[in-house]
Amino acid sequence: MGTTELLQFALAGLKNGSIYALVALGFTLVYAATGAINFAQGEFYMLGGMLSVWAYANLGLPLPLAGLVGVISTAIIGGVFELLAIRPRKDGDPLAIIIITVGGSMLLSSMARHQFGPTERSLPLFSGGGSINIFGAVLEVQTIWILGITGVAVVGLWYLYNRTGLGRAMRACAVDRDAARIVGIDTRKMVTVSFVLAATLGALAGMAVTPLTQTAFDVGPTVGIKGFAAAILGGLGNPIAAVVGGLVLGMLESMSIAFISSTYKDAIALIVLLGVLFVRPQGIMGRSKREKV
Amino acid sequence: MGRTRIDMRVVVLLVLVAAVVFAVPLLTSDRYQLKVLTFVGVNVIIVTGMALLFGYAGQVSLGHAAFYGIGAYSSAYVVTSLGWPWLAGVATALILTAFGGLLLALPSLRLRGHYLAMATLGFGEIMRVVFVEASSLTGGPDGLSGIPYPSFGGFEIDTAGGNYWLVWGTAALCLALSANLVRSRSGRAMRALHGSESGALACGIDLTAVKVRVFVLSAALAGLAGALYAHVVGFISPSTFSLHVSVVIVAMAVLGGTRSLAGPALAAVLLSLIPFADAVLPGLSRSALDTIQEYQEDVYGLTIIAVMLFMPAGLAGVIRGISKRGRRAE
Amino acid sequence: MRRTVTCAALCVVLSATLLGGCASQPDEDAPDSYRIGAVLSLSGPQAGLGEPERRAIELEVERINDAGGVHGRPVEVLFEDDATDEAKAVTAASRLIEQENVIALIAASGTGQTMAVRQEVERAGIPQMSLAGGSVVTAELSPWVFQTPWPNRIVVPFTLAYLRDAGVMRLGLLIDSGAYGKDGYDVITANVEQYGIEIVADEQFNRGDTDMTSQITKIRAANPDALLLWAAGAEAATVLKNNAALGGDSPLQVYGGPGNGRIELLEGAGDAAEGFTFSAGKILIPEAYGVGSEGYEVTTDFIDRFTERYGVGPDIFAGHAYDGIHLIVDAMKRLPEDFTPEDLRDEIEKTSGFVGAGGTFTFSPTDHNGLSEDDLTMYRVEDGVWVLAGEAR
Repeated sequence: MGTTELLQFALAGLKNGSIYALVALGFTLVYAATGAINFAQGEFYMLGGMLSVWAYANLGLPLPLAGLVGVISTAIIGGVFELLAIRPRKDGDPLAIIIITVGGSMLLSSMARHQFGPTERSLPLFSGGGSINIFGAVLEVQTIWILGITGVAVVGLWYLYNRTGLGRAMRACAVDRDAARIVGIDTRKMVTVSFVLAATLGALAGMAVTPLTQTAFDVGPTVGIKGFAAAILGGLGNPIAAVVGGLVLGMLESMSIAFISSTYKDAIALIVLLGVLFVRPQGIMGRSKREKV
Repeated sequence: MGRTRIDMRVVVLLVLVAAVVFAVPLLTSDRYQLKVLTFVGVNVIIVTGMALLFGYAGQVSLGHAAFYGIGAYSSAYVVTSLGWPWLAGVATALILTAFGGLLLALPSLRLRGHYLAMATLGFGEIMRVVFVEASSLTGGPDGLSGIPYPSFGGFEIDTAGGNYWLVWGTAALCLALSANLVRSRSGRAMRALHGSESGALACGIDLTAVKVRVFVLSAALAGLAGALYAHVVGFISPSTFSLHVSVVIVAMAVLGGTRSLAGPALAAVLLSLIPFADAVLPGLSRSALDTIQEYQEDVYGLTIIAVMLFMPAGLAGVIRGISKRGRRAE
Repeated sequence: MRRTVTCAALCVVLSATLLGGCASQPDEDAPDSYRIGAVLSLSGPQAGLGEPERRAIELEVERINDAGGVHGRPVEVLFEDDATDEAKAVTAASRLIEQENVIALIAASGTGQTMAVRQEVERAGIPQMSLAGGSVVTAELSPWVFQTPWPNRIVVPFTLAYLRDAGVMRLGLLIDSGAYGKDGYDVITANVEQYGIEIVADEQFNRGDTDMTSQITKIRAANPDALLLWAAGAEAATVLKNNAALGGDSPLQVYGGPGNGRIELLEGAGDAAEGFTFSAGKILIPEAYGVGSEGYEVTTDFIDRFTERYGVGPDIFAGHAYDGIHLIVDAMKRLPEDFTPEDLRDEIEKTSGFVGAGGTFTFSPTDHNGLSEDDLTMYRVEDGVWVLAGEAR
């Protein structure tokens, strides 16, 4: 195996890893605010691509504007979903929220099928085709977009989290919801914000990838599961861990193809994940929860 | 400490329900309706296992479709390829899934909450790849067809009514045994585990044993359901045992409510019937049927959301509410 | 006590509702119409197949009835959605057979559902026309089950022959992990040797994967002359795009099969589809039948009417459905007015030289697909559209 090939595999891992990272970030944000896993995260990814296609093909908007419309409308859907289906659950039981999102995911993908049809839809490449050469390995231009958007999103999220009042409030909720409420933070608003952000991140990933992979009403669950696995692998509750988890998972997959077999790449990635969990039950970067008796 | 006193009214009600359920094949010979209701019965068996694992012991598994599949494939394989009798097939299914449950439970003991969910999910997905790739055993993506009907000795159950009774009889048995279990000492140990692990430890309960036991039991129930499904339908393929199925099983248990067997069983019946609404609502026009089919998934999702929002304690909570009001009224 | 009685009453009401259906009569349509059932995937992952299939059937049934029906009686097709789920397919078939008393069943869009329904039609003794392309549908022969798409056991040798003529000796193989890809894999690996082709690399991807550069990198490392892609879904576009990017000035020549004869692939792959060469039936470019031939006339007529009604042209799935309904109806016409489903099955099996959209069908007791390599042709993508590839060069 030459270095060119190795680099090629690494780039593929990086690309997939970025997608998983964005989706994983969405999982972690919702988890931090609610303690629950959002099973509709994959649908936010799908809607980002699908609504961008709709804005481009049906509304005739220029591509950059169409992408923006796609992401923003998905973010709105995320917020509306939270307000209508999550907030009314007064006790905020994480388990109930998980199951509600399961129902939400079915509803969203089905509505997408009614609205946009069952076959896949395309989006043009953002800046045309072509690729650049890095030490012999090929990097598609669209992939640069994906990596770039991921990078901007991560930095933006970091800034929001660490440098703004809203971010401080979100971090407080993640640490201890009751204490946060006591100091006057509107925890219910934080939940809505987390869903809007999660939808935005998922939609960014979906929109950026659609020019390469096309989108369809049922692409949500596959990527959603990968994002969930990445979030768990990194360790729930920590945005950096989510990104790390995503990149590690992406690399695991491409290295499995490279060195073992493409037939079993998903199984191998899962086996490694299970192995990590059995050794470190809290994920790579998670802090082990010490239960107070 | 003895077992909780049995309420005679509950017994009467259960007998009545059982009578209705068993009367169905005597009153209809419509194979479509019987087939649909048989599928519902299969789901009740799996969800009962999940009710034990999750509703009582508080452990989550997002990979139970894997046990469902292992049960189905093992029974189908030994009966079609090895020519073993059906009962041997069922026994194989039970043994393999129990063993699988054991293998999964042991390393998973350290995991909590979402991490356990992911581990079981991972197991489920790995098994799905196995189902696809081990084609000499499983038939690969094309699946296994020509699986014979269940048979005892020489007697084959080849009617829709017969299979209905077989499945529901098994479901009734599983429910009865589970009800017995939760009232026993093991059951209380399970509930203690759900309430607080450290508390249960403090009471001297062997957590490991309880967790493993309930995992194995729920896996075996899913395997039993799989074995029944394979022989009643005659055809299985990897897509029958997908992650979606695992998620739906958990959803049914959650909708049913915790610390209850009736709630999850009822939730299983309710959700299983949504795609087959036309089996329960006779005399619908063609256009109504078409509309139901078109929006079936939407209704499914909305039902789940509605139950979770308006019945916070699940169906079990509603049942308990009714019986409490009944008792207060007297 | 009152609670118990109320609950018991509820149970009785519930079961009465349940059982009321058993006495329900079939729809109050013309009592003398011929009823055919259709179990298609109108929702779920294979909804992209079920929709065009349904449209084709509706269009053709309307035309048949406008022309007087069969023996003066109308034909009625009753659709059921299996939601790409095997259990639903079984119950849908059961419902159509039991409650609607259909005399034939068109089922299903996918191979898994087709095999699941088999037990029902064999038990009920009615003929089944499958629109799914898996080899197993007619390789595991059932007297009751027929198949209209071109199965891999015909398509693969045809495709391999073209590859051999094009000078391919070292082949890279890339399949999807679903039934279509795996079925293709089995037939391809079993047949390559007799065409003087060696498989130097074979890789696989899963449905929903977002990137195939790793698989293609591995294949390229083995230095093949070409890449054979056997996949039916949206991922094919990604494969073409990845291949074009990785190849730079010399991307691998990619070949494919009927599963790639879809407009969505052209839209999705864009420029990367240039030069993509694949085998399929002649419905995509009816001129392949020979202008003026019966196949040409039948197919262009169908294409024109379908396009006029629905605004888009029919794809291969619509073509399979067209053949399915017509094979049944044609057999019905050859029988006297009153026939049993068993008569219908026998008559379908006697079909010889029937010209449909997918090709010319001649069934026999051992061949329930009825098509041959003559019904296939090779296409190439040039300037964003399909053209006939002609001879291999």
